[in-house]
Amino acid sequence: MRLGKPVERFGDVPVRVRNEAVIVLGQRKLLQRLVPGLVHAAIFWGFLVLFPTILLALAGVVDREPWLPHGSPLDWLASQGWFALLVDVFAVLVLAGVASALWIRKVQRPRRFEGSHLGEADLILGLIAGIVTTLLLWHATRIALGVNEWPASWSPVSNALSNLFGDGTATEVLERVFVWAHVLLILGFLVYLPHSKHLHIATAAINVFFGRTRARGRLEPLRFDDVPESELRFGAGTVSDLTWKEMVDTFSCTECGRCQDVCPAYATGKELSPKLLIMGLRDQLLAEGPKLLAARRGGEAYEPPPLVPGAVSDDVVWDCVTCGACIHECPVSIEHVDHIVDLRRHLVMVESRFPAEAEPMLRDVERSANPWGKPQAERAAWAEAVGVRVLEPDDPPPALLYWVGCAASFDERARRTAEATATLLRTAGVDFAILGPRESCTGDPARRMGNEYLFQEHARQNVETLNGAGVTRVVANCPHCFNTLANEYPDFGGSYEVVHHTELLAELVRDGRLSPAAAETPVTYHDSCYLARHNDVIASPRELVATVGRPVEMPRHGKRTFCCGAGGARMWMEERGSPINEERVREAAETGAGTLAVACPFCTVMLDDGVRQGGHDLRVADVAVLMAEALEPPGSE
Amino acid sequence: MILVLVEHEGGATTELTSQALAFGRSLAGDEPVDCVACIAPSQEIATDELGPGTLHLAEHDAYASLAPDAVAATVAGVVERTGARAVVAPGSDTGNDVLARVAARLDQPLASNCVAATAGEPARVTRTRWGGSLLEEAELDGAPLLLTVQPHAVAADVAGAPVAGVERFTPVLADADLAVRVADRVEAAGSGIALADANVVVSGGRGVGSTEGFAIIEELAGLLGAAVGCSRAVTMAGWRPHTDQVGQTGTKIAPELYIPCGISGATQHMAGCKGAKRILAIVDDAEAPILAGADYAVIGDLHEIVPAISAELRKARGS
Repeated sequence: MRLGKPVERFGDVPVRVRNEAVIVLGQRKLLQRLVPGLVHAAIFWGFLVLFPTILLALAGVVDREPWLPHGSPLDWLASQGWFALLVDVFAVLVLAGVASALWIRKVQRPRRFEGSHLGEADLILGLIAGIVTTLLLWHATRIALGVNEWPASWSPVSNALSNLFGDGTATEVLERVFVWAHVLLILGFLVYLPHSKHLHIATAAINVFFGRTRARGRLEPLRFDDVPESELRFGAGTVSDLTWKEMVDTFSCTECGRCQDVCPAYATGKELSPKLLIMGLRDQLLAEGPKLLAARRGGEAYEPPPLVPGAVSDDVVWDCVTCGACIHECPVSIEHVDHIVDLRRHLVMVESRFPAEAEPMLRDVERSANPWGKPQAERAAWAEAVGVRVLEPDDPPPALLYWVGCAASFDERARRTAEATATLLRTAGVDFAILGPRESCTGDPARRMGNEYLFQEHARQNVETLNGAGVTRVVANCPHCFNTLANEYPDFGGSYEVVHHTELLAELVRDGRLSPAAAETPVTYHDSCYLARHNDVIASPRELVATVGRPVEMPRHGKRTFCCGAGGARMWMEERGSPINEERVREAAETGAGTLAVACPFCTVMLDDGVRQGGHDLRVADVAVLMAEALEPPGSE
Repeated sequence: MILVLVEHEGGATTELTSQALAFGRSLAGDEPVDCVACIAPSQEIATDELGPGTLHLAEHDAYASLAPDAVAATVAGVVERTGARAVVAPGSDTGNDVLARVAARLDQPLASNCVAATAGEPARVTRTRWGGSLLEEAELDGAPLLLTVQPHAVAADVAGAPVAGVERFTPVLADADLAVRVADRVEAAGSGIALADANVVVSGGRGVGSTEGFAIIEELAGLLGAAVGCSRAVTMAGWRPHTDQVGQTGTKIAPELYIPCGISGATQHMAGCKGAKRILAIVDDAEAPILAGADYAVIGDLHEIVPAISAELRKARGS
């Protein structure tokens, strides 16, 4: 980790302490999956409670009695009946946990363990079972010999086991055997620890502490201008380019495979598995780290081999949709998407190596300020028909700026969202304006593609335009624009109150300024990753859906939604394996809903394509479009 | 003296070279304009329009394999020998490549893709930026001035005269000058007419229905001498290879006539065919976005319409 590049993870200490309490002590992220979560929690909490018994056993190894200075805290604790009860209860919980874990691994065999080191896990579970069993047996022999410090009746399990033993020499010998076995197993466990994925018991708490405290949708900006050359980085080309946090990430991975289980790329037969990505980086780091350290000590230069294709393949890097499902699931706060983007940054900015079909998009974002190369002059063409005010350079600052985004400005299907949003805002009497030709791509697709430089050019230019126009409040259609404006532009001097159109519309409905006609038709709502998972916008779109139909949920929704396949600039790359959008559309069709409501122009296009390809009887429409239709008097056009 | 880099193909100077010559002559005013050309010993070059200045004609085997560093070394050598005040090259890929290397060798700035220049201290140039969407006015320092000429921005000068003289020489090249060269030429994969260059393109979309469904598309394309394209939905479904895709993530086409069949016209697709002069859409959905971009449209089932057009074409040709 001494080799790691710097990254700012020291602020927001109160949030970090809270994360430590909730995620580590409270096991919240593990408990996102109830049964495996409880299994882990039983073992984890068990070991917290049993920790003093380890110290007592270390003292007990020396001599049967007396163990400890009279009146010391441990001596006191050993004599407490309630503690003996706790030890027995948690010892049984740990054993039950180990048994359930073995049952999951040996009988259930979930797919998430594909590619993990299974033998390692079995060995560790065996060691845990051995440690706890020897503890109980040791306590039982002490009761049988009558040398227990605590009232025997308080420890029901040890007490019951003591009936197996007499009070003769044999038991005296066994008491020594059990305590020695107990201590040796613990010491063996500690020796094995650094060489196994079980290192996470040391690194996970550190990794959680230094995890993200700011919005998940925000990527760490690269700094090109104001940094010393030793800190200048263009993403990650070799292990020596990784940040220290990325290094701790790799050492924290327990190979549990929850990330792999929720990854849309993996689920549709692509090569990417977030778990194998992190394991690949870890293996390369462990192989190259010592050589780098030795070279540094010797004052020599050593160039480690490239991470791509050394640790992971090119395809793995480009399969990712940056949906963040892996990060949301990960119990130890690994930030897989940051790794992917750093690998992409190096490939794009240093090696110019990326899927060729994405090149026109990057060129068009650069030259035409939108990803399809449409003329900027046509950006506000849709607005003329609806009568939307275009903000001129010398106009007074608008109360609300509507950031339309490229898709809703240029894409035929997404344009209906812009028209509907504008109509709804006008119906509710909201004063707003758009930037028209002065709006340009936020740079999101370029950034997710790894072209940080192009992104920052656009960020600076847009911030200049927005600040120049005196903008303070922004409403955006596109969750990608929304995320970039709200979470990423503050890094470039642009701080605005940014809301998504579903949030603003929900507010207007609550205030009684919009009252769409209710209907009873079933509607299922697809959460956009950049809204729900990255930015916690979950309730507002559902409130709107409830005003225009009867909501039915898909199994994967809210923060555990399943991507449409367009994120991470995948919209502009060709897909291998089975299409993600068709997988999602199947899930939507199974709800029996006739309408698939969305709140993102890219989800609109992807899912509509999926519906056509799969021949489903589903209508894909933005929530705003459904609202606008519900507001129109029947029969009007 | 102003030096113009000559590019040639099959013994004749290229159209872009004639444009660069015109540009160089207007920049020169009363100054003489010399030319520099690089040929392999087996090649010859027409000199009757490169005058009235001198032609510096370098001969070397290396030029047969393009070798931009070898050409740059030669040009830099002529500049040093003659004291040329400016070097003008065609704004072709190779012209820009060579002059960038000359600039690096002489440690002088280069203005690429110029559409106008006026001599002076400093010289002023107008050049295209951002793929032609922006004109930049700039001042250019440099001794010599180094410029490439935006293709088709100035008329070719046909008033050339035969050269006053030809100075043949064989340059001394270092190994490093040959590091970049053409090692092999490979014809583009795929048979038939290349999508990007085709005059007529017939494309099929999701509405075609299957790999086999493309038979009628191929039949029509054959009758029209057209290339066959398709939409992204088709390549995603695996009916056609990705090389056939017309769109933002496929090939961008610019035919005289484009006939999309069963393609709704997603933005992704329109971005690939916006260069088409005329679009005739055949689609069954009267609301399809492709109709907004189409000049002509037939609303109906492509499986009936496309064979009917083929039949009519056959009848008209009497075959």
